Amino acid sequence: MADHSPDDNRLALKVVFYGPALSGKTTNLMQLHSLLNPQRKGELMVLETRDDRTLFFDMLPIGLKGASGLDLRLKLYTVPGQVQHDSTRKAVLSRADAVVFVADSQTAQQDNNATAFGNLEENLEKVGLDIDTLPMAVQFNKRDLPGVVGDAELQKRWAETPWAPLQMASALHGKGVLETFRVLLDRLYTEVDREFALDTDHGIDRDTFIRQLSAASEDSRAYL
Amino acid sequence: MRTFEDDPTLEDLLSADQLQRLNRMLSALCREPVEIGSDRKDGALALEFNLETIGWLAGGSSEQERLAAADLVSFLMMFIAKYRLAANLHHDTTEASYAELQKQNEALKASEARYRALSDQLQEQVDEQVTVIKQAQMDLYESARLRSVGQLAAGVAHEINNPIGFISSNLKVAGEYVNDLREVVPDTRQNRELLDDFTDLLGESSDGARRIASIVSDLKTFSSIDQADYTLCDVNELLASAVHLLQTEYGHDLEILKKPGELPKISGHPSRLSQTFYNLLDNAAQALREQTQESGAEGKAGRILAKTSVDSDGIRVVIQDNGCGIPESIREQVFDAFYTSRPVGSGTGLGLTVARDTVRAHGGSIQIDSREGTGTRVTLLLPVS
Ligand SMILES: Nc1nc2c(ncn2[C@@H]2O[C@H](COP(=O)(O)OP(=O)(O)O)[C@@H](O)[C@H]2O)c(=O)[nH]1
Ligand SMILES: [Mg+2]
Repeated sequence: MADHSPDDNRLALKVVFYGPALSGKTTNLMQLHSLLNPQRKGELMVLETRDDRTLFFDMLPIGLKGASGLDLRLKLYTVPGQVQHDSTRKAVLSRADAVVFVADSQTAQQDNNATAFGNLEENLEKVGLDIDTLPMAVQFNKRDLPGVVGDAELQKRWAETPWAPLQMASALHGKGVLETFRVLLDRLYTEVDREFALDTDHGIDRDTFIRQLSAASEDSRAYL
Repeated sequence: MRTFEDDPTLEDLLSADQLQRLNRMLSALCREPVEIGSDRKDGALALEFNLETIGWLAGGSSEQERLAAADLVSFLMMFIAKYRLAANLHHDTTEASYAELQKQNEALKASEARYRALSDQLQEQVDEQVTVIKQAQMDLYESARLRSVGQLAAGVAHEINNPIGFISSNLKVAGEYVNDLREVVPDTRQNRELLDDFTDLLGESSDGARRIASIVSDLKTFSSIDQADYTLCDVNELLASAVHLLQTEYGHDLEILKKPGELPKISGHPSRLSQTFYNLLDNAAQALREQTQESGAEGKAGRILAKTSVDSDGIRVVIQDNGCGIPESIREQVFDAFYTSRPVGSGTGLGLTVARDTVRAHGGSIQIDSREGTGTRVTLLLPVS
């Protein structure tokens, strides 16, 4: 649930990166941290990892100010993908406004993808959310590796779902991360605008929303 | 309600003591004392965490010093906040898991209770079945014994049939000889008396032989070992021989009123029908006996009515007694297999179950009307075709 406090004119949104263990959720967030240059960007908090694995979650806050003075915040979370951390996943998923599902493209990981997707569906239901109406983007990561399931085949498999077309990414190399994020912002905007009249009340139209929140990556690249 | 992800305030991150200590340490590093607080003072720098201003840093000798101090504080806050976040999340998930466990525990308790109830119920059913099986064993033993007694009776009847036949005809011829003798012996008073006595002896013996023959015939009808299949039966005849056999067993002081109607023959299994009639008559006789035992010698006279008739429903066989009746409490059970209210050995052991099964096998029905202490009426309905 978007957390809106009209008193201090603040709107906090929550985006959760979900997926099987080691699919690259943390990598996505780290890349966003370094690629993004939105109006406002907080610290990337990587919480307590062990052997390179997320034990709790990672969190990156970003934000923008609307013409009305609306203080809009986006908190990006990852969940721990390992099966045993289900209660943590549920806690992080609760009150989410959007989900990025990060799948692993490697052939051997397809079962894990399916399990994680089923788990997402199940947990969404448990926290009172509906997978069919929640804004969501699906990313197939690690495209740079050999032995991944083919692009066309994946697209075909998902063609009939509300999440087509899939986003292809190589998060480790910063590819497809921003694109995925923008697709998500696009879908998220529709819902948030419907509820909070971002455009009419706060002067934030779709383009501004997407551009500002995923902004300046090109600029920051130019700096590098 | 606060959740783990709510933005922390300065107080969430540091206790008053810790804040004081931090202020002292920072001041020691700077030329002028530094102070962190929640009020914005002149020239104070915002301390940001997660895009949130959580406090203000004032003091120091210069902007540069404040910036350096604020940087250091932000750096520290990051770890404190991480710890807080992790701890809060841990707390939240633990609570959630605990709640979940409690719910599961409740559900388990409920299902355990259900299973316990079920198991009690099953135990009850098992106990019931064990009783039934025990009874069945006893009754099976009893009916097997009766069957072999029946077979023995049939065998004996068969063996007796021949000698009783020639005894009867010999006695008849002997009677004729006595009449012949009357012609030839001198007609004296003594001779007359002797021959009259002789005639009486032969007559009584003939009567006896006839009775033996009749019992033998009833025994044969009743056990009908040689008639395994359905044949045309005369219900009146079958009923009459069952009555006769019962009277033989109980003695002739048992009053059985026969009211046979005119009946068509029906296709049936004679020995099973005989058995059924016998069982019902036997039940009636025992009911009379029980009634007599209860009310003593001055009780009303026991009587059994065996009546047959025919109407559009078929042949109706009524066997009625004015005996002790069937108590309300066991009326439901009387048809149960092997149910008996009497100790084993005192009845035929075949009871009403056989009667019901037989009647059903003949496409008919059985009905019992009874009042305790007044009597019982059993009505069998056997379809004609
Ligand atoms: N080859 C390759 N490896 C990746 C890619 N993205 C992530 N990884 C690696 O996969 C492992 C797990 O990534 P991480 O982001 O921690 O996964 P998480 O469990 O989903 O958070 C790490 O060793 C990453 O370096 C990618 O696009 N290509
Ligand atoms: Mg991770």
